[in-house]
Amino acid sequence: MTLIPTHDTGARTMPLSMTVCEPARAVTPEALEEQVLPGSGLNVPFIAGALSAFLAHERAGATLYRVAATHTENPELVDKYEEFGRETEEHIAIYEQLIADLGGDPQYVSPAARMAEQFGTKLLEGPVSLAGSVDLVTLETAFLEAVVLAEHRCHDNWQLLARMAESLPDEARRHVEAAVAQVEPQEDEHIRWAAETWVTLAMTNAEHPAAEGLMGLVERTAQKVKDTLS
Amino acid sequence: MTFSPLEQQGIPVADQFRSWRELNVSPVDIEGGDPYTRCRIVLMNGIEVESIMFSHQFARHTDNPEVKRALALSRRAEQMQQKADNWLLPGSDGPIETTIVYEQVAVDLTAWLARMEPDPYLKQAYDFGLLEDFDHLYRYANLLDLMKGKKGESITGTVTEIMPGRPNPEEFRHPHDDLRRHYDKHTVDPRSRLHVMTLVAAEQQTMNYYMNAGNIPVDPIARGLYLEIAMIEEQHVTHYESLLDPLETWFEQWLWHEYLEVWLYHSFMQQETDPRVKAIWELHLNMEIEQLKVAADMLARYEGKDAAQLLPTELPPAMTFEPNKEYVREILATQVGYRADGLDIVDADGRVTADTERYQSIVNGDGNYSLDVIDLHADQFGSDYRLQPEGEHPIDHQPATQSAATASRS
Repeated sequence: MTLIPTHDTGARTMPLSMTVCEPARAVTPEALEEQVLPGSGLNVPFIAGALSAFLAHERAGATLYRVAATHTENPELVDKYEEFGRETEEHIAIYEQLIADLGGDPQYVSPAARMAEQFGTKLLEGPVSLAGSVDLVTLETAFLEAVVLAEHRCHDNWQLLARMAESLPDEARRHVEAAVAQVEPQEDEHIRWAAETWVTLAMTNAEHPAAEGLMGLVERTAQKVKDTLS
Repeated sequence: MTFSPLEQQGIPVADQFRSWRELNVSPVDIEGGDPYTRCRIVLMNGIEVESIMFSHQFARHTDNPEVKRALALSRRAEQMQQKADNWLLPGSDGPIETTIVYEQVAVDLTAWLARMEPDPYLKQAYDFGLLEDFDHLYRYANLLDLMKGKKGESITGTVTEIMPGRPNPEEFRHPHDDLRRHYDKHTVDPRSRLHVMTLVAAEQQTMNYYMNAGNIPVDPIARGLYLEIAMIEEQHVTHYESLLDPLETWFEQWLWHEYLEVWLYHSFMQQETDPRVKAIWELHLNMEIEQLKVAADMLARYEGKDAAQLLPTELPPAMTFEPNKEYVREILATQVGYRADGLDIVDADGRVTADTERYQSIVNGDGNYSLDVIDLHADQFGSDYRLQPEGEHPIDHQPATQSAATASRS
């Protein structure tokens, strides 16, 4: 499992417009068409690019969970962030295997993957960079909101992949369906938990007067979340 | 022998502060001795300045108190390193001697990095800049002789030749022709990233130096020469900074800044011929090792990334100041006619884009101080000043003087 594709891990890319890379690292649309889903008649560079972007999103998700787990004051959230982080790393490995099964290279970082990475970076940058001028509740909520947004996108990626599978040749379709089946229950749980916890956190805050004190609020919120999850 | 910075023990950042008397180091001589000692000093000053300004910019983009504190602590130590490095250079009644060192750095640094660069696009970008800095050295050396009756070789020694490169008036380009494509952060060879970062820092320091010191001379031709070349340095910073991948995050950039400093101090500690300066490089290496670890900790804490997965397992081969005379001659002989066309460097036989032609018609419209200085030297001494221990100039291409340029235009 590669969390950060680099020169040392064998990363490759498709240089477009402003990007250059050493010729040995360059991926071309023609090469992708030869290697991935050969003879399928599909837009293979797009599919390979999208798979790379889905993988990049999972990689960003894994780092988001690591950071969120480090920064939350709530032990229940820590447990969930760590659990989902481990599962997200498993999803990275599943994507890597799926890409290889389809004839691709998991070390390929497509232009679409660069964009997905940028989204992920900026999503995490919000709570990290503004931590000094918000209260603890807002900070906890910001990390949780980042998780909600990331999980929505993650869930949508897997659903889109399932839809794409319908157009793939038989063997490729089986690989995709197997991967989706393996991941889908966990992804459903991630998005359910994130959305419900976000609502619970917000309602708990809304129903308690701020005058009772910020730390008390945080502790009660933590207890409420714990109660909800248990 | 391999060197893995993250596995080394350095000086904790909180213990890196020094007294004013310790920082106010005795300078080296501006003439004689090993010219590359002065080059190493000038380069490390530029590297520290870039690191400091990066840290300030980062601090202005975050409201996280822990990150701000870590940046402030490391930055204060970096500022002290910068003072110790830059105060190794002696004072003088004007910037011209130091300027000669700056341009010798630009020549031998750029040439060495180009020789070692694995990416052909990046190498082309370095070769392109090389011929322009090579020309700057020639024009400033003529100014030095005019101002102080001093030969450039008294500062550079004979390790670097002094003769025309791509003629200064032909270096002016429309801003759009100074932009370049950039490497991709995932695929880039770690050496390439370090090469680009080194050049950005070196050229930026030169730009800043000329921006501020260029008005110190009284003589109008000297002031005009600094003005012209300062504007080329702006072009060079635009050119080199374009090569960096903007996808690299603030924390990743912090890590790479510290790693770059480790690489260079480690490199120079091995090569330094002046034992007193060598001790400073060694001290600063030990400081940078712990600054790197702080950046690595921040990367893990705020981006969830393991620095060991980003950095090479061991330091790349040492950056080395050494003669590049043969290489510079080869590039001069084959690429002086290359020009920028948008994002690319092309074999254009001296032809420029329409945008650059218009720009040159404005800025060169009533003559060039960079040509005046050569004319004036020829008037006073019978010829321009050159240092060509390896023989004749490899081409006979450029009008080196105002009168020759005028003749070629008419």
